Amino acid sequence: MAFLRHLLRKLGWYAAAFAAALGLNFFLPRMLPGNPVDTLVAASLGRGASSESKQRVYETYIHEFGLDQGLWEQFATYVGNVMRGDFGTSFSRYPADVSTMVADTLPWTILLQVPAVALGWIIGNLIGAVAAYRRGGFDRGVYLTSLFLSAAPYYCLAVLLLYGLAVALPLFPTGGGWSFGMRPEWSAAFAADALSHWFLPFLSLLLVFIGGQAIGMRSMAVYEIDADYVGFARSFDLPDRKIVAYIFRNGMLPQITGLALAIGTLVAGALLTEIVFSYPGIGTLLYDAILNKDYPVIQAVTLLVLIAVLAANFFVDVLYGLIDPRIRAAEKGER
Amino acid sequence: MTLATIRDLRAHYATAERRYHALDGAELAVEPGRILGIVGESGCGKSTLASVLSLNPKPALRVDSGTMSIAGTEIDLADIESHRSLRGGTVALLPQGALGALNPTRRIGAAAHDILAAGPGRIKRSASAARTAARLEELDLPPRVLDAYPHQLSGGMRQRVVAALATLRDPRLLVADEPSSALDVSSQRLLMNLLRRLVDEELVEGIVLITHDVALLSELADRIAVMYAGRVVEQAPARTLVERPRHPYSKALFASVLVPEPGTRERRLDGIPGSPPDLRAREPGCAFAPRCAEATEQCRARRPALIETGPAAAACWLRDPAKEPADAR
Repeated sequence: MAFLRHLLRKLGWYAAAFAAALGLNFFLPRMLPGNPVDTLVAASLGRGASSESKQRVYETYIHEFGLDQGLWEQFATYVGNVMRGDFGTSFSRYPADVSTMVADTLPWTILLQVPAVALGWIIGNLIGAVAAYRRGGFDRGVYLTSLFLSAAPYYCLAVLLLYGLAVALPLFPTGGGWSFGMRPEWSAAFAADALSHWFLPFLSLLLVFIGGQAIGMRSMAVYEIDADYVGFARSFDLPDRKIVAYIFRNGMLPQITGLALAIGTLVAGALLTEIVFSYPGIGTLLYDAILNKDYPVIQAVTLLVLIAVLAANFFVDVLYGLIDPRIRAAEKGER
Repeated sequence: MTLATIRDLRAHYATAERRYHALDGAELAVEPGRILGIVGESGCGKSTLASVLSLNPKPALRVDSGTMSIAGTEIDLADIESHRSLRGGTVALLPQGALGALNPTRRIGAAAHDILAAGPGRIKRSASAARTAARLEELDLPPRVLDAYPHQLSGGMRQRVVAALATLRDPRLLVADEPSSALDVSSQRLLMNLLRRLVDEELVEGIVLITHDVALLSELADRIAVMYAGRVVEQAPARTLVERPRHPYSKALFASVLVPEPGTRERRLDGIPGSPPDLRAREPGCAFAPRCAEATEQCRARRPALIETGPAAAACWLRDPAKEPADAR
């Protein structure tokens, strides 16, 4: 089937992007000034140690991490290990396994981002379409609010919410994934506690995303309302809800592209949001790893983000093909 | 027996400060089995007229007065909202440009079902498919069009699909608003044949064809009404109007275009001096008087009525049949 062939071709492109990114993921962290082992040695031996023992520990680490080998040799080992699903051990929390570190933090990030994106897309598009249809004061209010929300950087809104709802008006905790004294477990008390910590970072992501989607949908719908097919439909006295459905269906198409484009920035922005709230997700993990030049963790997280973005793009691609008959036709070569 | 009669149609567009009188007492009669062409320059009110006749006025338009009697129904045009249900069934619109008139993400069959379902009574999907297929066939379109999206059809097919949809609920009157303006010459020809066919094969009882294309009108229309400043200033059988226009504006209008006929080898083209009337101010006299070379005191002081003389009618003091002998014209 032609559509399948199209998807396979897309997959080929994604594989190429993946290979290129794999290289960047490896080499870019290594261009950071400084040496991960220096920090590690200083931390593990303290001030009083003799320079000789320092030297010995240093060399042990260098050897253990494989940093004494040539860069390309290291790269080959890295690629080989990644292919086997081995992401190595963390430098800064040696000998913690990177896969375990990522597995511990990933669910938190997924719980934060997926609901924010899904809910934000739906709410944002509905608000945008209704604003365009109703016009007037409601429209102006929606437009200005959305403009503010979507233009504000993620961390700005996060800081504002943090100040407003956690500091000035202490409704929610200021940060972290759960309270002191709690331990992650499957219990109602922990779930309630985690939820109250989750809410502010979620809200800040949701608001930004709603804003962007509402603006996009509003302008699409305003444009669609003036389209000839709407006028033709009106000339038959088609019911309003039918006409709104027409408008929504057509206005939605570019919004899905927008979603694909937004996913990259969204993931990056969400990482910043996590840092503001010291939320125990991938973003905070990456932040700490960069501070400690913990190459294996940086590589694993950036690779994960890359896979997420590519997967989301692929998903949108498939979805788009299913939704827009014209794209379907172009792919079949019918045009 | 006329199919539709429009009387004293007045409508304006209102802005915060001013009113633009787009229609200023327009009168029209459409005869059954005929195409009535309406012509005039930009701003004469012909598109506004189309939107009112199809009972689908633009939101900013206010109809002040006017009636349309069509097929035994008397419609108060100042209260179009309560006659919404006649849209599509009694009067239908053939829109400008077939390309954009079809919802790009809806199959023709589904769009046709929406149109039939908007009419009176309930209709099953299978019934609407059968009815649509029959109408498509009348216009030489295969039934597979039902399952097609607009982009899968050629331009000519789309044109016929739009015509099929417009006539799907068997409207009495079809209002075609500048249907040819976005088309190339050969598509225009196809469209003209299509319109003629719709009347000849009695898919509709009559057509009001609104256009600024005088050449097209003179070939296609049975009767022509010339509009100026929101009024019909002359209405006559097409041939008569093209050959012997009586109103000075009609004369000037037809003198400003070349009709592609064998005799038209060499001819001087004259423009119309002055500019279209300001719709904000309503002069007491004839709206064309400021641009009319023959205007008299009377033309500027009082507005002439549309007076019938046989099959033709003109609104001009200089063509007043009661006065014409005295003028020795």
